[in-house]
Amino acid sequence: MGPAVTFSTLMGDETKTIARGLQRRDPDLLDRLIEQYEYRLFRYLMYITGDKARAEDFFQETWIRVLERGHQYDGKSKFEAWLFAIARHLVIDWQRTKKAQSLDALVDPQQEKPLQVADENAPSPVDHVLAREREEDVQASLRRIPAIYREVLILRFQEELQIEEMAGLLNIPVSTVKSRLYRGLDALRGAFQEGGA
Amino acid sequence: MNENPHARALLLVAKGRVEGLAQSESDWLTAHLEDCDSCNEHARRTDRALRALRTAAVSLPADLASRTQFRVRLRAMELREREPKRRMLWLACAASWVFGIASAPFVWRVFEWFGELTGAPKLILEIGFGLWWTIPALFAVIVLLLESARHPGEPEWMKPDRSRELAARRN
Repeated sequence: MGPAVTFSTLMGDETKTIARGLQRRDPDLLDRLIEQYEYRLFRYLMYITGDKARAEDFFQETWIRVLERGHQYDGKSKFEAWLFAIARHLVIDWQRTKKAQSLDALVDPQQEKPLQVADENAPSPVDHVLAREREEDVQASLRRIPAIYREVLILRFQEELQIEEMAGLLNIPVSTVKSRLYRGLDALRGAFQEGGA
Repeated sequence: MNENPHARALLLVAKGRVEGLAQSESDWLTAHLEDCDSCNEHARRTDRALRALRTAAVSLPADLASRTQFRVRLRAMELREREPKRRMLWLACAASWVFGIASAPFVWRVFEWFGELTGAPKLILEIGFGLWWTIPALFAVIVLLLESARHPGEPEWMKPDRSRELAARRN
């Protein structure tokens, strides 16, 4: 048995275990998943909403949905793809209630200052300032990219999802995912060049 | 194949990052980048931007996981409390259907007797008999509606404090 087969079998076992646990609403499993995906889910929400407080609310709402609708996860796909799809739908639903036109509408550059993301675990005030400046530079550069491209870039290059998985999550054809990725990559290069990040 | 080698190189730089290259494409691109400074610089800029994206850090709010775990556990408890009631409701509905089917001939006789007594047309009696079967379902719908009116999702006090966000915006 090759390493790729072993890995996919392990992954399959893991997703099946998660599916069974979610079916039972196993609280220990949920605790573990919340810790395991804390950073990745929060980062995803942070980038698609562009707002820390809102990302935090959506983070909690996402896990409530996972609890309530856990029986819908069949364990055949990656758990993170299902998790991000839930988070994404929450953001879209919220956006619809606000009658916004696109994910970009979540961030109004006229009303909001650049993200003020405090580094709560910084070891010293200097590190704190430097880290925050760097974060703000990156956030500011990313905010120059249209939301639909920003989202695919994050899913592909931060979350390292496969293009097919992204197509399932975003509910769009693979060809659309690819064209968004190509355009997003152009926009990303331009944004970082402009921002000097 | 693209006629312009520079355009092809830029396309392959993007393709390599997005979906990967075939060995022949990769070899061609490597050879081209060695000779072409402009395309090489483009590839470097692309990699710098991707590195910045990959290494971009986001600081987590304090105790985000533990606050979420607490909220999820409370919601789980609430759902567990509701489950036996719901199960009882479905059992009652099932029992009602079973008794309904068993008593169907007798109920029809009652309808016939009522028809003879009042002189109602047979069609009305048949419609009435049909509606008789919807009573358990109607009962279940009413109970579920009442229940969801009493428990509209999560209690308000469990929801995160959105005033924090509003306050932050005001500042």
